[in-house]
Amino acid sequence: MPKRRQDANQGADSSRRSFLKGAGLVGAAAATAVAPSVAAGAMPAAPLSKGKAALPGPRQIAAETMPPPSDPVNQTSSGGDYMVDVIKTLDIDYLAINCASSYRGLHEAVVNHGGNTKPEIITCVHEDIAVHLAQGYAKMDGKPIAMACHGVVGLQHATMAMYNAWCDRVPVIVFGGNIMEADKRAPGAEWLHAGVDIGQIVREFTKWDDQPASLQHFGESMVRAYKIATTPPMGPVFLSLDGELQENPIRDRGSLRIPKYEPVIPPVGDSAAIVEAARMLVAAKNPLIIVDRLARTPAGMKNLVEFAEALQCPVIDNYGRMNFPSRHPLNQSFRRVLIGRADVILAIEMNDLWGPLTHFRDRIERTSRPATKAGAKIITLGMRDVYLKANYQDFGRWQDVDLDIAGDGESSLPALTEAVRRLTDPAQKAAFDERGKKLAAAHQAMVERSKVDATIGWDASPITTARMCAEVHNQIKDEDWSVVGTAIRLSWMHRLWDIKKPYQWNGGSGGAGVGYNLPASIGAALANKKHGRFTVAFGGDGDFMFNPGALWTAAHHQIPILYIVHNNRAYHQEYMYLTAMAARHGRGVDRMDIGTTLKDPNIDYATVARGMGAHGEGPITDPNDLAPALKRAIAVVKAGGPAVVDVVTDPR
Amino acid sequence: MRKFTGMALAVIATIALTPAARAQEAPQGDAANGKRIFLKEACFTCHGRVGEGGAYNGPAPILAHTALPFEAFKGQIRNPINDMPAYSGAVLSDKDIADIYAFVHTLPGPSSPKSFPILNN
Repeated sequence: MPKRRQDANQGADSSRRSFLKGAGLVGAAAATAVAPSVAAGAMPAAPLSKGKAALPGPRQIAAETMPPPSDPVNQTSSGGDYMVDVIKTLDIDYLAINCASSYRGLHEAVVNHGGNTKPEIITCVHEDIAVHLAQGYAKMDGKPIAMACHGVVGLQHATMAMYNAWCDRVPVIVFGGNIMEADKRAPGAEWLHAGVDIGQIVREFTKWDDQPASLQHFGESMVRAYKIATTPPMGPVFLSLDGELQENPIRDRGSLRIPKYEPVIPPVGDSAAIVEAARMLVAAKNPLIIVDRLARTPAGMKNLVEFAEALQCPVIDNYGRMNFPSRHPLNQSFRRVLIGRADVILAIEMNDLWGPLTHFRDRIERTSRPATKAGAKIITLGMRDVYLKANYQDFGRWQDVDLDIAGDGESSLPALTEAVRRLTDPAQKAAFDERGKKLAAAHQAMVERSKVDATIGWDASPITTARMCAEVHNQIKDEDWSVVGTAIRLSWMHRLWDIKKPYQWNGGSGGAGVGYNLPASIGAALANKKHGRFTVAFGGDGDFMFNPGALWTAAHHQIPILYIVHNNRAYHQEYMYLTAMAARHGRGVDRMDIGTTLKDPNIDYATVARGMGAHGEGPITDPNDLAPALKRAIAVVKAGGPAVVDVVTDPR
Repeated sequence: MRKFTGMALAVIATIALTPAARAQEAPQGDAANGKRIFLKEACFTCHGRVGEGGAYNGPAPILAHTALPFEAFKGQIRNPINDMPAYSGAVLSDKDIADIYAFVHTLPGPSSPKSFPILNN
């Protein structure tokens, strides 16, 4: 990519040239000596003195007598340096990138000015990988990292992952390079990769975006972007970075200030509304809590446990975050029948509330009816509805509610718990305890039922998903493990495993955009690495093939992760949908593998992994081969690298 | 709604029959052919190749050694509750369904997890 240059015919131009002359550039003639014309504050390109003055040589004489350079080739500062200085104040650990000329100024500054630390470059082979990696990281670490992409085309690649992050309410800082000034663009690609408003394609699924026109503007917008991204409801933000702004020398560093970042204290729900909610829940005969993206810090799960125990109330977890321990007696996530029995339902940080509270039939004529019983009262608590956009319909269908509290779920729970305790009289407390005993028994029965169900087809090939999950757990149970990904509808971990630490689960993709699981799991593994945790993830084969290059990033940066490919050799959900279509028409049910399966040839994921520099095991078709393969893979992970185990499984 | 409830009650009522009663009601089926159909007609996509159950839009029941009597089994195939696709006679004959029914009864059902140590750790 050619260096952007001025048009030779634009003699009168321009702002850039005149700017450069006075802003810390060192001309070619100064390569061996300091040109007198170098502006104050510029760093000399060569030592100024060697002690006792020697007689000037011919080159030095020439340098001192030549006119100031008209086309300087060195500079001693750049806007990118200031950008890095700002980014460093925000404690951003990593910058996930697919390199591109439109942000080469920032890239170089991160490496050389910033020392490639905070942020450290994470090299990705696709922008979709970079954003998903950042999404997985943020959910595990509790703070965002940044990603950078090329203007226009790179950002177009990044969009689906940004949509996932948006739907998942996860902060990701996205930079896109752009060359705003038309007269600074080189012929060719720089025109193809520039836009008047490159952020417009992501504006409907970002919380905020900007295109700073000055360095000070960047400083303020960077801090603002970080603050907006990390304020509930969280979400991705985008900054378009002008190439000139990144690359030009800084005119006056002393005049640039770095804005102070101070996080927003997430709002607690209105105190009167909290008391009213507590009153309704205490008075309820069959209260129910349903949660999705509640826990944004480790305090979230602790607060929910205390609240549920105060009421001895069942909890249905939609698994958007690590909200509630899987083996807690009040965890009734696999007993959705409770929705129909509840007289008061508290929904906390739910994205789609209508769905879980509705029986929907995907038939020729689509129908729905409430899953709740008549007269049931519904309370909502959360931040989602305070920031919505119009085009994409991720907000779900309208749900009637009886008390709608705007407030951060995690922060509001202590007040709610306190109110419940205050309002509970001894007789109610005794009733709660009795309810808790019944729920504990039902929970234990569910666990035992899951174990029984898991035995079906134990020795079958293809391997059942229950056997796969049980074998993996058996190998990692003594590690400080963290499971960070799952294939569609694969719930055996939550049924069989004791998932109880805040970092042992981090939710799904958010937008159900395929291609999330592998790179996001690697992002979570990157966050786990500094804690020495053992990261394991399950992912579908279809998802794997969207971003297999993410494994190269894991190998290159030595990110340890055990990745289990749940290989049912199909886009299986679509396979089932297509079968339903054919059955509806009474024709051709036996040919629905056309266009929905990944066979002929079968994909060898272990070989793909090895090609990316990761360890590969499989394809494993005999369940008795699983344990030895897992042991070999785990040894690689514990040595610091990524390993893939390809398990040929039954569909679900 | 009324139809749905009635169907559900019928299913529940027939499940309550004893195994002997269910066996008496079931027609003779060809389990080998049933297996062929089960895999060919995509029953396995939701219920698993060994009838271990799975998920479509919601949970897909376990069919291995099903307790469902034949008539309820057939009724669910012909006019299913929830989102299971309906299989008409043009796709699955009554004989096919009987063969499938015979096949799922050859599948080993659940066992005691005590025999599987890794399920208990």
